[in-house]
Amino acid sequence: VNQSEIIAKLQGIFDDLFLEPVVLTPALSAKDVPEWDSLTHISLLLAVEKSFGIRFRVGEVEATHNVGEFADLIGKRLREP
Amino acid sequence: MIDYDELKTLLAGGSPDFWEALAKSTRQATGFDQLFRLSVLRKKAHARHLVQEGTVHERVRLAIVGGYSFFPLRDVIEHVCETERYPCELWVGDYDNYNSEIMDETSGLHEFKPQAVLLMPPESRCRYSGKLTDARELQIAEAGTIVASLLALAQKLNETLHAEVIMTNFMLPARHDLGGFRARTLGSDWSFRKWVNLHLGLEAPPYLHVCDLEFLASRQGGRYARDERAWFESKQPGSSDLLLEIAREVTHLLIGLRRPPKKVLALDLDNTLWGGVVADDGLEGIEIGDTSPRGEAFKAFQRYIVSLKDRGVLLAVSSKNDHDKAEAAFLKHPEMVLRMDDFVAFRANWEPKSENLRQMAADLNLGLDSFVFVDDNPAEIEIVRQFAPEVATIELGPDPSTYVAQLQDCRFFEPRNITAEDAERTRQYQSEAKRKEALGAVTDMESYWTSLEMAGEISPFTAVDIPRLAQLINKSNQFNLTTRRRTEAELNLLMADPAYACFSFRLSDRFGDHGLVSIVIGKKEAEVMSIDTWVMSCRVLKRQVEDEVLNEVVRLARLQGCTKLAGTYLPTAKNGMVRDFYGRMGLSLSHEDETRRDFVMALDAFQPQPTKIAIRHRAPQPA
Repeated sequence: VNQSEIIAKLQGIFDDLFLEPVVLTPALSAKDVPEWDSLTHISLLLAVEKSFGIRFRVGEVEATHNVGEFADLIGKRLREP
Repeated sequence: MIDYDELKTLLAGGSPDFWEALAKSTRQATGFDQLFRLSVLRKKAHARHLVQEGTVHERVRLAIVGGYSFFPLRDVIEHVCETERYPCELWVGDYDNYNSEIMDETSGLHEFKPQAVLLMPPESRCRYSGKLTDARELQIAEAGTIVASLLALAQKLNETLHAEVIMTNFMLPARHDLGGFRARTLGSDWSFRKWVNLHLGLEAPPYLHVCDLEFLASRQGGRYARDERAWFESKQPGSSDLLLEIAREVTHLLIGLRRPPKKVLALDLDNTLWGGVVADDGLEGIEIGDTSPRGEAFKAFQRYIVSLKDRGVLLAVSSKNDHDKAEAAFLKHPEMVLRMDDFVAFRANWEPKSENLRQMAADLNLGLDSFVFVDDNPAEIEIVRQFAPEVATIELGPDPSTYVAQLQDCRFFEPRNITAEDAERTRQYQSEAKRKEALGAVTDMESYWTSLEMAGEISPFTAVDIPRLAQLINKSNQFNLTTRRRTEAELNLLMADPAYACFSFRLSDRFGDHGLVSIVIGKKEAEVMSIDTWVMSCRVLKRQVEDEVLNEVVRLARLQGCTKLAGTYLPTAKNGMVRDFYGRMGLSLSHEDETRRDFVMALDAFQPQPTKIAIRHRAPQPA
């Protein structure tokens, strides 16, 4: 799976979790979206882990700066055995 | 499965059914991720101004403090409370700042004036500081200090804010760590926390409600209740799924302080209390007892039901059945655990069950909303849901081995502060039935009252009575003039306030002790004694209790120098029976609109009504 496929799947998750529609692009980051606060963030991670069937390691999501890097991290965890 | 599409459709169409569907889905949710999606839909409904119809209770001011981060827990609590129609207004303390928030009376917490405080002390504070091998006395002393300091925080909250306190206790470790040695010392987290939890629970005063994390985590499976990553990343108290359980428990405790408990368990018979159909299979054909696994399961279910009765739950039968054959099962079957005298109502006939339940409620002077109906048959459950929607229902399904667990998890019959009266209730209702027979035998009310040999005891509010007073005030719906609910903390305040004249009334007669049957809270405003609250147990209607209570209200009003008595009726769906009560008691209607009826009476004209109740006054207790 490549970054754009992952972002497409992420879009569906965002649509369920945000009150106002958010259009995902690789450059988008949490600070661009007023609703993307710490509460939404925790819920977002849980939803992503569940729907992709992966588990992030401590602190690594925080180290991503935008949707593109986040999608790449998801891809990296998906490629793990 | 949660049907998000249905919810979205209801929301898009602006349908008020959205809220009921949302509440149902929220109850079904098994994980935090589901709950969060539901919470988003709830917020969308607010943004669209979609209003919840029906009764929504007043907002409860709830503060959350402790040694964790409360995002997202606060959101989950807000969601669960709101979908259960008990919305709350939240204030959340700073991370791990609870000691100063509680002790400093100028803090934001005190400014917020919460009615309830959720306190979640961190488990890092519940750990023995010495060695595993230290003398047990040292370990006990330290555990005792922790319990005492937690109780002191709760006491401070209650004394300064008059708030109910909900406090979480401590999860036990879920890793092998010390192995079997963990149980050989109080110095291990395992033993130390068990000791602290145990003593916190046993020593909790009535205003302190322990939200039992040890239990919730064990129910979930200890390893699944924890999430170390969530602790390191954002100081969460446990796994996301545990947050959901905490939120549910907190909501349950909050609502439990305000909503009356259920009183009656109404049971189907065939394939609910035994296997098979007694009218078809005969006494020897039904499955009950230790001869088969199914029979054992039904017998265990009956045993559990008897234990509910011993706790004070009233039992009733509502069955589509031939009355004589159904009765014979209880009279003649040797393996039957339940017997006829366990039931306060027995309706085996061919009427719709919704009608039978209505009739029972009328006979017992209870509201339909104090009934829980249990049946294995989905069709019968559906009829009751449709035609007697106030009744809570449990659809048992086909496997009797699950029945006990279903009742144990239904949460309708949980004791709060157990009062001796609870356990006596079945006997009281049965003697009520005898009393009605006596009523048939004597010809006029005067001689009936005389024959009852009634004795009444009037007492000011006392500390020991508070749990029972709160219970009666909060569960009375029908004979309740104003339906003002009060927590134990609020009653304690009233008791000490000289502007209030409060008393309770107990009644006994030759058939038994009715216990506490009526409560009045009067408020003195200049020369007017105004009746803020008057509740009475419907079991003692038409027994002259109301006359004696009014006599007492007037006596107290005169003692306080009042010249007028004022009473108000605030209508609810259930208290229609007292709409004209003050009028019948001799007060005059002074104001009336849709929301209230006000009555007034000049005290100089009042003559005490003589009754057949021998009255005894209990002296005020020194504080």
